[in-house]
Amino acid sequence: MSSTDTESFRDLQSAATSHRGDRIFNRTITLAAFTALIVLAGITVFLGLQTIPVLQTQGLSFLTTSIWVAPDYGIWGMLYGSVLLAVIALVIAVPVSLLLSVFMVFLAPKGVSKVLTNLVDLMAAIPSVIIGLWAFYILDPVSQEWQQLLNQYLGWIPIFKNTSGNFSGTPFTAGFVLAVMMIPIVTSVTREVLGRTPPELINAAEALGCSLWTMLRYVALPYGRGGLVGGVMLGLGRALGETIAVFFVLKIVFEPVNYYDIIESGGGSIATLIVSKFGEAAGPYEVKLLLAAGFFLFMMTLLVNVIANLIVNRTGRLQK
Amino acid sequence: MSAAEFDEMSVESMDELETSLAAEPVTPGTVEMEARDLSVWFGARKVLEGVNIRFPKNTVTALIGPSGCGKSTFIRTLNRLHELIPGAKLAGSVMYEGKDIYAPEVDPVHIRLNIGMVFQKPNPFPSMTIRGNVLSGMKLSGMKRPNHDQIVEETLTAAGLWNEVKDRLNAPAGDLSGGQQQRLVIARSLAVNPHVLLMDEPASALDPGSTLKIEETIRELRKDITIIIVTHNMQQAVRIADNTAFFLSLDGNPGRVIEQGPTTEIFGNPQDQRTLDYVNGRFG
Amino acid sequence: MSATQTITFDDSRLEELAQQEPQAPWGRRTSTFRAAVIPGVLIPAAIIVGLWFYSDLPKPVLMVAVYLPLQLLAAVGAAIAVRGTKSAADAIIIVLAIGATIFSIVVLVSLLWSIFSKGWEAMSTAFLFQNNEYISPSTPLGWGGVGHAVVGTVLIVAISALIAVPLGVMTAVYVTEVRGRAVPYVRFFVQAMSGVPSVVAGLFIFTVLILSGVLSQSAFAGALAYSILMLPTVARTAEEVLRLVPEDLRTGALALGSTRARVVLRVVIPAAKTGIITAAILGVARVVGETAPLLLTSLKNDRTVLNPFKDPITALPTYIFDNVAQPYPDAVVRAWGAALVLMIIVAILFILTRTLSARGPR
Repeated sequence: MSSTDTESFRDLQSAATSHRGDRIFNRTITLAAFTALIVLAGITVFLGLQTIPVLQTQGLSFLTTSIWVAPDYGIWGMLYGSVLLAVIALVIAVPVSLLLSVFMVFLAPKGVSKVLTNLVDLMAAIPSVIIGLWAFYILDPVSQEWQQLLNQYLGWIPIFKNTSGNFSGTPFTAGFVLAVMMIPIVTSVTREVLGRTPPELINAAEALGCSLWTMLRYVALPYGRGGLVGGVMLGLGRALGETIAVFFVLKIVFEPVNYYDIIESGGGSIATLIVSKFGEAAGPYEVKLLLAAGFFLFMMTLLVNVIANLIVNRTGRLQK
Repeated sequence: MSAAEFDEMSVESMDELETSLAAEPVTPGTVEMEARDLSVWFGARKVLEGVNIRFPKNTVTALIGPSGCGKSTFIRTLNRLHELIPGAKLAGSVMYEGKDIYAPEVDPVHIRLNIGMVFQKPNPFPSMTIRGNVLSGMKLSGMKRPNHDQIVEETLTAAGLWNEVKDRLNAPAGDLSGGQQQRLVIARSLAVNPHVLLMDEPASALDPGSTLKIEETIRELRKDITIIIVTHNMQQAVRIADNTAFFLSLDGNPGRVIEQGPTTEIFGNPQDQRTLDYVNGRFG
Repeated sequence: MSATQTITFDDSRLEELAQQEPQAPWGRRTSTFRAAVIPGVLIPAAIIVGLWFYSDLPKPVLMVAVYLPLQLLAAVGAAIAVRGTKSAADAIIIVLAIGATIFSIVVLVSLLWSIFSKGWEAMSTAFLFQNNEYISPSTPLGWGGVGHAVVGTVLIVAISALIAVPLGVMTAVYVTEVRGRAVPYVRFFVQAMSGVPSVVAGLFIFTVLILSGVLSQSAFAGALAYSILMLPTVARTAEEVLRLVPEDLRTGALALGSTRARVVLRVVIPAAKTGIITAAILGVARVVGETAPLLLTSLKNDRTVLNPFKDPITALPTYIFDNVAQPYPDAVVRAWGAALVLMIIVAILFILTRTLSARGPR
């Protein structure tokens, strides 16, 4: 906010508080503005309250073991799986998004770039349940073929090992689906960040005989670093919390935890766990277990999201 | 002290000016750059018409004229930055060392490295240190020059900044004042060893003290390179330029060079009435 | 020009100069350029077309392990031939950037095409207007449809908009108009709220209202979960829009003796009307396809439900969810059909926001 803004704001403030109707208006608005805080606190408190008895009966092994057979429950495999899927998604989505936004900002003619912007936004608007449907019927068969080939040609790399011969319901496919959902989210941020590289810096770089690569490497990427990292982390937050799209293409397996065999059937995702067990939950205790799992999912995404927003805001590029 | 007072203080009369220039005689070498019948368009709008100017080696040429007369556009055509603007068009030619820089086989990167540019607003790279900025041209263009430390010292000295920053070369460039940033940008341009330096109102955003420093730098640099400078400040042109070209665009016509010649002539004895009016501050 | 005399503009040449043709010499392609770039594109393409038909290599391997490296190599070769070694990196970026763009477009087209082509099979008036009563997954197409789910979606989304849009706009008003001390915190919480996973929003409503017995699983419970997801979108968009209202309008109205509340209600909000509508539509678009919260808060129902407080209710996303992965082909076709209906709703909302923001301030 510039200094003139602050001044006029003080004038308005004094004008505002002087009137009784205004005081009521201000209080109503202020109350409404705290909805977000109330909801966040509410989620923490209410899900937290459900988590306490679970931790009392299961102990810390609720977080450190991976099992879902009464009376023992542990979500380690699901927590780990969520992160693994998000990492796979990042590995695919970040390069694609960055290159796509480089194309839109620096290479494509204006008209093409405008059309692409709309297409990317449209992609972001497709509901996750539809992406899940597509993933189950269209992507999964194709993905199985890719994974077979990966295993055939690159099977000597540990992550591409597959001994079961079953390539469906793998972390790879689930991660790929998450990548499809992340690409438009990350691209819309990276496109904006790269597009806001000050023209005078680009001019300076051009006057010093830059190439596209050196301009990106030494000017645009360092300048937009904060925004780019923040954008990726916003996508990451979304990937960790995504439920339905993953539900259709990932086989939930508690034991053994699939640590890195990404093209082996079976993996974990905490969000998906909740939906898949909720309908068939046997009694109130299992519901509590799922609520506790939701609490840890919430904490995880909140942390990622807060860090992302701090990074984005500190660079102050996406917020006016 | 305002810029106007400063100008008045430095140059009180034309007589004094002439004697000051006479002390440093103009030494026209061979022609370094030349514009031939250069006309420039943005889309369908013609902004410059029939510009013919020669820039002799190791001289300072000032381009003066009111706002919107095409000076800045002209200077951007001299190192092929003009073409980065969508819809830009031109006709005629720009010769550098006897060759047309717009010939198809010419690499614009090569041209931009030989013909450096300093912009109106200081634009150091904020993510780099002072030293990093000086050396950025080498990174950006992939040019290889040995002895980086020596280059940093030489160019910062040439830009008149060395003494102020020699103890904090690794500080971020954003820590410098506006005037220092502009001299840093000059050092950055010099580090790639250009033969010509284009300056687009390099001092217009600066305080009088910094302006004076930049002018000193320009007079010094003239020994080694050819300088072409756009300025709104006529006293500045008088102080630093060997030659002056007066640009004018009237009644919606494209900008033209109304008159050009030695600075003393343009300011002391202009041939065209419009030049006389302009240099005497009657319009613009 | 000798350095001792002045030259003035030669007016007699104006006619000659008027004959000049504007050119863009930098766009001219040299013969070297053509000689390098045309083969650089055509040779890899020709090789791949040849291998496509006459080789046993699997197609994905062909594209990733043969065509991509080949095209990169050719581009680098062409770049070096035209501009020298320094432009090799540019060639790689350009090929990869075009590759990434094509990849994204292929994914999008695959998505849209599958929704359209498969969803079309299910389309009939019965499908659009009937509900799912007396219909089992094995019932052939022609009976039963998404009518009840459309009603459910409309009901849930409408209620959630009624809750979230006023709250979101008020949050934005707090940030841009009231400008209290808590502005940075409010914005921070709104941002944090936008990261709440949809399943967690569902769990929250489930815990607070359903476990505690306040509400049964119903449209209203689903709407509450939706409004948690909708609010941050509305608040952030509305904030951007309100910021665009010129400060003069506010000071002008205040100068006329208007109260702060009236300035906001009569001047600022009307001035930003289109933008606020856009914010509301964006909020609706954000939630309309959300499934996970409804699985926890509104369950499913084969009948058409109009009472938002009483019975469980099916919406389009939950209808899709129920019909995917059924062993009956007709159920799967129904899922695609519902996906098409949902996608059309999303597309209409999408186009609405585009046209509105093109017209109004932003």
